[in-house]
Amino acid sequence: MEHLNYQFSRSHEWVKEEDGLTWVGISDFAQNALGDVVFINLPEVGDEVTAGDPFGDVESVKAVSDLVSPVTGTVAEINEELLDSPELLNSAPYETWIIKVENVTDTEELLSAAAYDAFCETEE
Amino acid sequence: MSELKRTQLYDVHVAAGATMVDFGGWEMPVQYPEGIVSEHLYTRHACGIFDVSHMGRILVEGKDRFAFLQHVVTSNVGALELNRSQYCIIQAPDGSAVDDAYLYCFEEDNLWLVINAANIDKDLAYLTPLLAGYDCKLTNISAEWACIAVQGPKSKDILTELSGGEPLTIEPIKNRLNIVKLEGRTARIARTGYTGEPLGFEVFVKSEDVVWLWNRLVELGAKPAGLGARDTLRMEAGLPLYGHEMGVGPDGKNMPIFAVPLARFAVSFSPQKGDFVAKDILAKQRAAFVKIMNRDFSAIEDLPYRIMPITLLDRGVLRKDMEIYKGDKKIGWVTSGTMIPYYIAEGEGLESVITDAVAKRSIGMCYIASDTLVDDVVEVDVRGRRLKAVIPESHLSLEAPPFARPLIYGTELKKMEAPVGDGLAKALTLIAKAERNHLWRQTECINLIPSENTPSRAVQILSGSDPNFRYAEHRKTKAFYDKDIFYYQGTKFIDETEQLLVEEMKKYFGCSEVETRVTSGQMANTAVFSSLMDFKNRLDRKNDPKRLGYVMNNHIIRGGHLSAQPMGALHDFIAIDPKTEQNAVVNFPVLKDNIYKIDVEETKKLIDQYRPEFIIFGKSMVLHREPVAAIRQFVDEQKIPTTIMYDMAHVLGIIGPSFQDPFAEGAEIVTGSTHKSFFGPQRGVIAVNYKEDELKYELWKTIERRVFPGSVSNHHLGTQLGMLMAAYEMNTFRKEYQAAVVNGAKCLAKALADEGLAVEGDPAIGYTETHQVVVSVGYGQGSEVAERLEQNNIIVNYQATPDEEGFTASGALRMGVSEMVRFGFGEAEFKKTAALIAACIRGENVKEDVKKFRSEYQTMRYCFDDKTVENALDHLAGIMRR
Repeated sequence: MEHLNYQFSRSHEWVKEEDGLTWVGISDFAQNALGDVVFINLPEVGDEVTAGDPFGDVESVKAVSDLVSPVTGTVAEINEELLDSPELLNSAPYETWIIKVENVTDTEELLSAAAYDAFCETEE
Repeated sequence: MSELKRTQLYDVHVAAGATMVDFGGWEMPVQYPEGIVSEHLYTRHACGIFDVSHMGRILVEGKDRFAFLQHVVTSNVGALELNRSQYCIIQAPDGSAVDDAYLYCFEEDNLWLVINAANIDKDLAYLTPLLAGYDCKLTNISAEWACIAVQGPKSKDILTELSGGEPLTIEPIKNRLNIVKLEGRTARIARTGYTGEPLGFEVFVKSEDVVWLWNRLVELGAKPAGLGARDTLRMEAGLPLYGHEMGVGPDGKNMPIFAVPLARFAVSFSPQKGDFVAKDILAKQRAAFVKIMNRDFSAIEDLPYRIMPITLLDRGVLRKDMEIYKGDKKIGWVTSGTMIPYYIAEGEGLESVITDAVAKRSIGMCYIASDTLVDDVVEVDVRGRRLKAVIPESHLSLEAPPFARPLIYGTELKKMEAPVGDGLAKALTLIAKAERNHLWRQTECINLIPSENTPSRAVQILSGSDPNFRYAEHRKTKAFYDKDIFYYQGTKFIDETEQLLVEEMKKYFGCSEVETRVTSGQMANTAVFSSLMDFKNRLDRKNDPKRLGYVMNNHIIRGGHLSAQPMGALHDFIAIDPKTEQNAVVNFPVLKDNIYKIDVEETKKLIDQYRPEFIIFGKSMVLHREPVAAIRQFVDEQKIPTTIMYDMAHVLGIIGPSFQDPFAEGAEIVTGSTHKSFFGPQRGVIAVNYKEDELKYELWKTIERRVFPGSVSNHHLGTQLGMLMAAYEMNTFRKEYQAAVVNGAKCLAKALADEGLAVEGDPAIGYTETHQVVVSVGYGQGSEVAERLEQNNIIVNYQATPDEEGFTASGALRMGVSEMVRFGFGEAEFKKTAALIAACIRGENVKEDVKKFRSEYQTMRYCFDDKTVENALDHLAGIMRR
């Protein structure tokens, strides 16, 4: 499975560590529940994010959902490609990061891939 | 979830992987695996199918069914004829909407009322007590019947495949209905929908047939679409949804019905309705609405907010209940909004191409202060941020079928490239371009536009000579025994010319009176319509004059011309039929197996029923003689007082034994334009056959007055002189020319058919009895093929056939042979023309072949080619050169 080495929040964001940064995206379950993603609001580089608090939002045709940060830290990079092509979150959720965070000081309680899949079963 | 209701298609949706949700107590598919965006786009460019079986279908029966409905819904139900449907609103006593609904008249003895799924119980609870005193019964037949909405540009093809080629509705017009067999199963088809698609159908079938129908539609290329796409499609089309744009408003108060733009059409105050629920309140709303539309906001408290479209200019997404501001003042709320996808179009006008590239726009609808105007820029509170938005006229246009086209706010057309340089440089450019154009059309093109011709050199030169710049107003004056009195000096030659022209044209028509001063065929018709109305009101000048009604004519989609339609020259003269609240026009019915020909027997029935005061024959897509004699005989026998006119615009030049003779057959008035099959300059003509001792001779006198001073002041004296020459030519060469034209059209038609093209009309008569030939090239392909032919120097019209929805959906080409006959085309040449057309349609480049072919036919026939005439013309042209 492509997401086996990822960790997950209960609000359906994924987290992975790479190049010394914390990458954040949304899970396959999340994109499926949202339906066609048509718009995303992103923070700016340098903004502080707090674990458990929204850092942006993502809108599908049907509704708007907050993006909840799994970590506390500083935004190092944002995925600007998503501003024009938010549908990448639907087509490749695990290859599409939303923000990369540095100076991480706190992390929510995260689930392993297997535990997250089990958690999703209960959500349906 | 177990309490939710399910439609007959529930298992099909689940098997297709649909996401099912609770929608007003129904477990419905919100989307299928491909998603809302894909379903929306597929509907716009191909065909989406929607399960709308959850909607309530109420059978309305009983002899008082019309009276009951007139009382409880807003529309004029009395106007609902068999096989028509009608949008309406069920109004509450406070002038708000209980629900919006659709009425269908599939059968003579009952109506169907289709209502929103979530409102079925509420609507029935509201309506049932109101039945008291009416012989009328409401039965919920929702379970017996199911309904699939089949929407999008391919919907017609797909359904026509199922009907085995039978037309889905008799006329390709919105709100028409029909009961047809789809592969043996009975279906009730309505040209209705909730997507904004110009081509859209709702198909009602018995519950047991619906799974079959759904699966067949999918096999034929339709794709399932869920409630999500249904919502984005209707929002883009600006159609209201109960609970969003109707019902309780965002301010917590009930929204008045006139807040919805559709109310203008859905609410009737026809006397036929009598007293109906909330009549006074609705009248008050309407009065406020009328003032607001005239930008008088003095009654705005009666209609404080209206539903309008809204487009977000900043990045973001509009959602229901977001607040709208102008400065610090809250002026409204978003009622529906989302991000909606569309295919990007490239290029302009008819040549624009819908590409595969997809973009999205943030649009919606809003409930906004009634003094808001189109193009007003406002601010929307998008979760704490103030974003700029604008009120557009609309989000979507249905005007160019088969596609619904997105209107992207702020799109501007490219400006034409203006010629560079000073006045002298521009003058030289203009002359050079005019020369190129003249040579191209006159020496390099095969010109097959049936409404065109090339006048002879004599006609052209005379038209440009001195009278061209003069004034010659004149009218008959009683004091001088009806001698024409001219208002200007220097006009004796013009007077003589005009008298000679009138005499030549009387000879041509074989009639008693001719008026030649009208400068176009459309003006000729306007003058006649105005005269008929004036004649009708001549004995009562103290009241508003009464308009004409009923008027019988050819429907525009069956080839009728604008100049005899309410949208054209009839506009100011046609009455409104109080029963239908529409123009009092009755159209000639056509034969089932030949939609180009009037059905005489059915016409007689309609004449008997409506007793039209005016019957207008003639059309601009014309393959047959009009049944003037048969209808004249009928109205005489039945003693039906009427006036029979024949608008011979197209066929003016072939009057006689080769075609038909209108006055001999019983027409009273003939109008025409002089430059189609008749080869004069561009003018109009009116002829009548009234004798001086007849009552209707007074109508003729009225026509003269409605021409001058009613229609023209000065009447284009140059082309009138040219017209006299054309009349001499016609009266000299008439017999040979007319035979060659009618025969040429038959030759071209047969040759095109031999080339494998789909020639319209009856092969048994050689497809055509006129100068015209109509060829089918495939639905919606007409304009593209016509453009390709033009690039190959073959000039034709694209044309919508009687079963096509409009000019952009045109699937045919209309051709006329008159001009090429004048340049010597006969059987062999039309065969060659047909071969070139067929090759071009197949995709071959034939431009050089066409040029070479045409270069051999430069000499004009059916005009005076004597050397003495040529010398005289050279001399005249030489003088004019000074």
